Amino acid sequence: MEGLIQDIVNGLLLGGLYAIVAIGLSTIFGIVRLVNLAHGDLMILAAYLSLFMVTSLGISPLLTMFAIIPVMFAVGYVLQRFLLNRVLGKEMEPPLLVAFGVSIIVQNFMLMAFTPDARSLMSELSLMTFPLGPDLSIPVLYLIDFCIALAVIIGLHYFLQNTYMGRGIRAASDDPYAAKLMGINTQNTYAVAMGLAIMTAGVAGVLVGMTFTFYPHSGPQYLIIAFGVVVIGGLGSMKGTFVGGLILALAQILGARFFGPGYQLLCGYVVLLIVLAVRPQGILGRG
Amino acid sequence: MLIALTLGLGSVPIWGSEYAMLFFMLFCIYLALAQMWNLLAGYSGLISLGQQSFVGLGGYTVAVLSSYYGINIWIGVVLGGLASVLLALFMSLFIFRMKGVYFAIGTWIFAEALLVWFSNWAYVKYGSGLFIKPSNDLSMVTIYYAAFVVGAGSVALVYILLRSRLGLGLMAMRDDDQVSETLGVEVFRSKLYCFLISAFVTGVTAGIFYVFQIFIQPYKAFAIDWTVKLVFMVIIGGIGTIEGPILGALIYVVLSQFLAEYFSVSMLILGGIAIVVILIAPKGIMGTLQEKLGFEVLSPRRF
Repeated sequence: MEGLIQDIVNGLLLGGLYAIVAIGLSTIFGIVRLVNLAHGDLMILAAYLSLFMVTSLGISPLLTMFAIIPVMFAVGYVLQRFLLNRVLGKEMEPPLLVAFGVSIIVQNFMLMAFTPDARSLMSELSLMTFPLGPDLSIPVLYLIDFCIALAVIIGLHYFLQNTYMGRGIRAASDDPYAAKLMGINTQNTYAVAMGLAIMTAGVAGVLVGMTFTFYPHSGPQYLIIAFGVVVIGGLGSMKGTFVGGLILALAQILGARFFGPGYQLLCGYVVLLIVLAVRPQGILGRG
Repeated sequence: MLIALTLGLGSVPIWGSEYAMLFFMLFCIYLALAQMWNLLAGYSGLISLGQQSFVGLGGYTVAVLSSYYGINIWIGVVLGGLASVLLALFMSLFIFRMKGVYFAIGTWIFAEALLVWFSNWAYVKYGSGLFIKPSNDLSMVTIYYAAFVVGAGSVALVYILLRSRLGLGLMAMRDDDQVSETLGVEVFRSKLYCFLISAFVTGVTAGIFYVFQIFIQPYKAFAIDWTVKLVFMVIIGGIGTIEGPILGALIYVVLSQFLAEYFSVSMLILGGIAIVVILIAPKGIMGTLQEKLGFEVLSPRRF
């Protein structure tokens, strides 16, 4: 039993990180009906941008977020406005394949620009822990991840529920035609929604970069985590995304504990496939 | 024209150099794989991002059977195809409950799970990979003919399939799922057949590819890169046409030979072309040509 509680605590905190990895994917799927296969790669791109700032300016990775957030918003906005909006329609395949193309382009661009070596965003926070008892301590970095993730998700929820733009986005998502009649520029709202989604991906990328090592090819791994969280939690529910993150992270950490570290990812996938087969709408999903 | 092309391709070992043989062998292999992705995505409405599951399983079956048990390599290749069919049947229990995008990601997750499993499996020497020793004795010409058989065979197979009852049903289904079901097309069963057929051919083709490569590793064999290439080939060539994958495979092999040392650059270019094609000519090069010129070499139409 030794360390089991520690593992559970780590798993729960990691779940928060997984939730912010997934929230952008979930939001954009809910609004534009698009699975953004480039989500993970854009996250890793943000991690590299942050690394670039950290090495050239010598500042803490957390501070780089102030630059990352607007930059990633712009990336998402442009991506949706000038590329993805053009292929939105009845069929789901063309946007899926365009996003896939973007994913491969971003990945190979990073491979050329930043070499295939493993990188991480080191800071003085990396090794700090917060002792809670003789066998129990909380890694400060995990705690920061969790708190920022929670803050971003609540902030996004508030934005979509209470601001004029947020209402416009939801209206365009429920009925694009009626929204247009009410004077909403749906093209623009979709682009803003994608901007927000990629902005959360940017925050997630910096947090992931601070917590783990990353490579140009790490994107798909996080895309699958994000997709897993969305599937487990159910689409379109912020609470579900959070719970999904916790379940997936716990499954991985406990899987690593009982079967060996090599099986960490496999346990996550197995849980995911079981949920998909038994309850395709997710644990908290509606319908 | 078609017969001339087939004869030309079939006689490469007679007139071609060593390099031409390598080039056309890769072409045949990618052609077969792309044709199978096209059968799923272009005709059955199943976007699979998990073709690498069958590539890896096909390759590993040959490797294990021939190096561990001394079984004839070509029997191993066919058994690799059968193993892929079994895997596809097992996968279908899960992923055939999913639709569209869920199906796409479900197949991908399966492949990722297999990657992790094989790289943690002592029996196949973890991530360090296996050598297919017996294939050292094979000549390049033999392997070339095997590749030629699957390459030409895959085109013929898709052609025959599409002109059969199954194909008619498939195309009706692609155009409208529900209407065709009311008209008596067995949607579920037709899709499953296509999935199994594509698994078989993909497994066999991968087996031949790894017989040529001699060495197999989970990080390469189960990599999403396989499906990435196939998607680009089919989209650029023309999704939902038989000729599309032929052209797409040719473009890919030419580009990858020219940029052999810059794999990233060739992927950047292919990704860029694919996006442009989806934006301006969603039917791909062949599909657009067919529409404009009304010219079809291999028409699945019966009337």
